[in-house]
Amino acid sequence: MNIKINEDWLATIIAFVLLILAMVNVISPEWMKF
Amino acid sequence: MTTSTVKQEQKSGPGVLNFIVGLAIVVALAFLARWFKDQVYGIKDLGGLGIPGKVLEFPIWAALVGLVANYILKAVKFFEYPKPGFRTELFLKIGLVLLGAGISFKVIVTAATGAIIQGVIMVAAVYFFSWWLGGKFGLPDTLRAVMSTAVSICGVSAAIAAAGSVLAKKEEITYVTALVIVTALPLMVIAPLIAGALNMPEPVAGAWFGGNVDTTAAVVGAGTIYGETAQQIASIVKQTQNVLIGVVAFLLALYFTTVVEGKKEKPNAAIIWQRFPKFVLGFLLASLIFTLGWIDKDVAGKAIGGMKDWAFCLAFVCMGLELEISGFKKMGWSPVIVYLIVTIFNTLLALGVSWLIFGWLFPASI
Repeated sequence: MNIKINEDWLATIIAFVLLILAMVNVISPEWMKF
Repeated sequence: MTTSTVKQEQKSGPGVLNFIVGLAIVVALAFLARWFKDQVYGIKDLGGLGIPGKVLEFPIWAALVGLVANYILKAVKFFEYPKPGFRTELFLKIGLVLLGAGISFKVIVTAATGAIIQGVIMVAAVYFFSWWLGGKFGLPDTLRAVMSTAVSICGVSAAIAAAGSVLAKKEEITYVTALVIVTALPLMVIAPLIAGALNMPEPVAGAWFGGNVDTTAAVVGAGTIYGETAQQIASIVKQTQNVLIGVVAFLLALYFTTVVEGKKEKPNAAIIWQRFPKFVLGFLLASLIFTLGWIDKDVAGKAIGGMKDWAFCLAFVCMGLELEISGFKKMGWSPVIVYLIVTIFNTLLALGVSWLIFGWLFPASI
């Protein structure tokens, strides 16, 4: 089966994975300092 | 390896490796852009010109670095291989969803009310002005439709949506896309300078950038250069405008099938949902999570803010990398003149409308 994922959903999924990792303190603010 | 296998491999297009190499280039360039920003950010007077270094925010460096890399990669004939990793829209949308996680839902509702009014006025006025002017210059209907949608809504994705509805030629999409990016890049830098000279409050400036600058990436860039509140309002206004893509795509398909082609069957209204920018739902959900207080502002909030800036920086680098101007030669100067006149009209109208709505009717309180 060929599953095609829309870029909008892909961006949303990636953003939420990052968001959740930050919320549970897996991603430290120091690493992401811009 | 058999002939059919070779054909199959050729058909399968760019692979994961192309994407990884492209992504690595974009990330390296983003680090370089940040390094440039850090070098000049603390300087109080650049070259004795009275310009503070902090005016040169990271979107400018990122776009510049991307443009230089674009030139170099094409000169050494290594542009096509990593191209699948140059994903402006993907990085931009990730950044926008993360941006939502720092904006209260109340602010979105307040700003979106004004943004809907502004969006409807701007999209309708700019679309019909562009359509009318394109007609005066004798542009084909399909090019007029793609260009009018691009300039009135949100550049590249709107152009693609409109092109699908009116069955525009591929070179018309390439042409309009190039016009959009070539105009948006300087506007991203000039608009905040004008806003500063006019002493515009940040919400008004943000609404102006959102209504005036053509691509979402450049809108976010202009807002970032001007200030945090301007970035938030600009993003809300632009996303509200982007939501109208589906409606315009449906109306265009309806007009072209029934009036231009004279067919009886009508296009399916499902196109409104198909063209709806779904990441806006992610942006709203992220804002809801923030509003419920589930994000610790001091730790997670800072990490999310940093990731948002990185995502935007990657998007601005790609914007410079993806600039393509070879399509201009094919179609002559008439569409360029139309596009520039409409952009000036769009800029002035958006200035008046955003002052009226965000400075007077709905002064967004952030």
